[in-house]
Amino acid sequence: MKITELYIYLLLAVVLFTTAAFAATGEYILASLIFLGNALPGYLTTKSLLEKNGD
Amino acid sequence: MINENVYRRFNHTAAACFIIYFLFPQKILGFERSFFILVFWLTIVGLEYFRLRNSINIIGLRDYENQRLAGFVWFATGTCMILYLYEIGMFPQSLAIATIVMAAYTDPVIGEAKKHYGNYGSFAAGIICSFIIFQLILGSLFYSIIGSFVAVIAEKPRLKWFDDDLAMQVFPITILTIISLIEGAPDLSQTLIEEKP
Repeated sequence: MKITELYIYLLLAVVLFTTAAFAATGEYILASLIFLGNALPGYLTTKSLLEKNGD
Repeated sequence: MINENVYRRFNHTAAACFIIYFLFPQKILGFERSFFILVFWLTIVGLEYFRLRNSINIIGLRDYENQRLAGFVWFATGTCMILYLYEIGMFPQSLAIATIVMAAYTDPVIGEAKKHYGNYGSFAAGIICSFIIFQLILGSLFYSIIGSFVAVIAEKPRLKWFDDDLAMQVFPITILTIISLIEGAPDLSQTLIEEKP
């Protein structure tokens, strides 16, 4: 479970990094697509992780 | 335990981040960047090998994936194929980017829509989602309409030996590339991101 938790945080970091990288290169459509497409599943996964762990 | 359905969807949508590959320089640590496509793919296949031998446990997979290749292997295979074929000049960059992002988002949208709205609703949701992504990235109504229908139709068959995660990438990009090469076909922007030397 600990590995899964770390993996989820890593995925979130990758999404944020990729969004920032495309925004920094002026590719705003791609940056927005990456961010918006992952916002809901990322939020729900993190929420589920925190709820189930009782944090 | 976390909500495995949501976790599986997030893994799928996060796969859109593969397109960061196009921001990488041509050489990384002295190796051609395409070498890392092979390294990545072999890592995924290695993980799957140990999972199927029950040496490791990966959560979020479907029950039927216990005895067959998991979706993430099919998706990674499709993406690695696209990236490699792009490197050897077979696919344009714009289609490679659009297809990877489209496949990462449309499959989960179809899956969720099927639960709530049935087959017709999921078909419509898939078409709308893939069309919007193609249109935003390619900016061509012609290619967006064809690409979205091909992608959603390719997702439908349930075959043990050929997963929709691979089909949704391979069929649209191949068909759109072929169409773009036909004389008289509408122009397709080949490059979206300026490659680093």
